[in-house]
Amino acid sequence: MHNNPQETERLISDPVPGITAEPHDDNLRYFKVSIEGPEQSPYEKGIFQLELYLPDDYPMEAPKVRFLTKIYHPNIDRLGRICLDILKTNWSPALQIRTVLLSVQALLASPNPNDPLANDVAEDWIKNEEGAKNTAREWTLLYAKKE
Amino acid sequence: MDQIISDASDFHDTQIPNISQLDALLRCHICKDFLKVPVLTPCGHTFCSICIREYINRQSKCPLCLNELRESMLRSEFLVNEIVQSFQSVRTKLLEVVKMPTISGSEDKSLIELGSDLESESGENIQSSKELESEEGDDDIQIVGTNQTKSTLRHNLRKTVSGPRINKSISSIESMFTKRQTNVRMAQCPICEDFYPIKTLERVHLDECLTLQSLGKKPVKRKASSTDTGLASKMTKAPSTSQKRMKSLTPPKDDNISHLERYVTSVVDTEHQRLPKLDFTAMSLSQIKQKLSALKLSTVGSKQDMIARYNHFELLWNSNFVDSMDPVSESELRRQLTSWEASNNSNNVNTNNNIGRLMMQTKKADTKTVEYNKLLKNFKNDKFSRTEWATLFNKEFKQLIKQARRNLEKDRQKLNDENDHEHGIEGLTEPSIENSSLFNKNETS
Ligand SMILES: [Zn+2]
Ligand SMILES: [Zn+2]
Ligand SMILES: [Zn+2]
Repeated sequence: MHNNPQETERLISDPVPGITAEPHDDNLRYFKVSIEGPEQSPYEKGIFQLELYLPDDYPMEAPKVRFLTKIYHPNIDRLGRICLDILKTNWSPALQIRTVLLSVQALLASPNPNDPLANDVAEDWIKNEEGAKNTAREWTLLYAKKE
Repeated sequence: MDQIISDASDFHDTQIPNISQLDALLRCHICKDFLKVPVLTPCGHTFCSICIREYINRQSKCPLCLNELRESMLRSEFLVNEIVQSFQSVRTKLLEVVKMPTISGSEDKSLIELGSDLESESGENIQSSKELESEEGDDDIQIVGTNQTKSTLRHNLRKTVSGPRINKSISSIESMFTKRQTNVRMAQCPICEDFYPIKTLERVHLDECLTLQSLGKKPVKRKASSTDTGLASKMTKAPSTSQKRMKSLTPPKDDNISHLERYVTSVVDTEHQRLPKLDFTAMSLSQIKQKLSALKLSTVGSKQDMIARYNHFELLWNSNFVDSMDPVSESELRRQLTSWEASNNSNNVNTNNNIGRLMMQTKKADTKTVEYNKLLKNFKNDKFSRTEWATLFNKEFKQLIKQARRNLEKDRQKLNDENDHEHGIEGLTEPSIENSSLFNKNETS
């Protein structure tokens, strides 16, 4: 029952720096999202494409967010699925699309290998952090280049 | 896309940007709209009754602080209710008054240009321009000479009005407002019958008016007499049902309404029992049907449909009879339920809600988006082409003008035969689905 055109509108008129979210032409519940990799992270200078979908029950249920750009990160798996508490059990309808996207950006700045989604990446991260970060940097250059 | 829906950020570029905080504080953190029937939690947070009740059905915690929360802990906030409605009733005009006379004026200008044939029909506009001229000594661009043609005079006036001169004295800012207002075309709201600048009406007011109406509050022009069912009678005896009826018919949009009085005389409904939550797993199909029938609800559809129907009705009922200070009737609740079912059962574009409308607009605007963005970019570079802009939105402007004309005409008629009923707007006074679809028509055609 709450479709939040309010929020959609605000996202367009009042964007967050480093983050863009555009509703799809045919479906305003579907957003094309891009997030700039945070400075001083292995994802710096990368632009990551994501998709965000507002389910029918939004904001009672969390939005669905997924990375489309390949990324080497312990909390993001091969399919781009994100392990982030506020997208799962800690979702609250008081959260907004913008806070969700900011949290995703924050996750890029501080990966948490102790709560992994991509087990092999998390293992790599714990055993050899520098090496893992180098891989993440390579992937960023390879897949998330700015146009 | 410009602001179609009201948002706290509307006040950012005004003379008093901090009003945006007030605006934001009066909104629900779940639906992001202005609080409707606000209720307070023990943790000190306020939400719309419907929003928080719907959420508690899923999670027993406060969305803001995550403290434990159950339905029985919620308390009505009559004061906040009146504060919100009071603010909403002045918002459109407030925004108009504190608005900076900068870029936003450009659209008005194009509109006026296209509507110039309309202006020349009455001598009013030109007269007011001349009046303004005499008070204009301190302006950047002076209008000299009186033998200019109407159009150049108007043109000059526009230049004066829209110049981005922010560091002028307050008084000259005020005078700019006066000038702008004389230039802004007014149109009548088909719902509350108040007059607003077309732009405001289209973008902000109609939405607000429809929202209030969908809450079962009829923004009908109120006659002065109905105010005195107030304090005196309430002091002596408990309010009768008929008094409450009258109260619920009181339009919250009207300027004459006393939100103070409404607050002071507000009472909790004691006639209606709260509706219990039902454990459907232990119920047979016929038992469910019985429950629905007892509430005069439809028994069509699958078991799942009926359960959803009861649950939503329970939500509406308790929000209305437990939390609201001016509850609507049971039959109105059933109407709201039907409307909810209708909009919930169609998975495709639903034009009856905001997102549907927004979606239609986006689709429609899409063919123009490229051209629009190009023009807008030029606008920022100071190479804005008014003619191209006017051509691009020719149809839209024509539509607006037509609408304004219709409303003017309607008004003239009304003046002509005062005794007669309102012309052609009877269908609009009933808060119904037809209403919204009419709104769509206006907006998209
Ligand atoms: Zn709400
Ligand atoms: Zn709380
Ligand atoms: Zn109205």
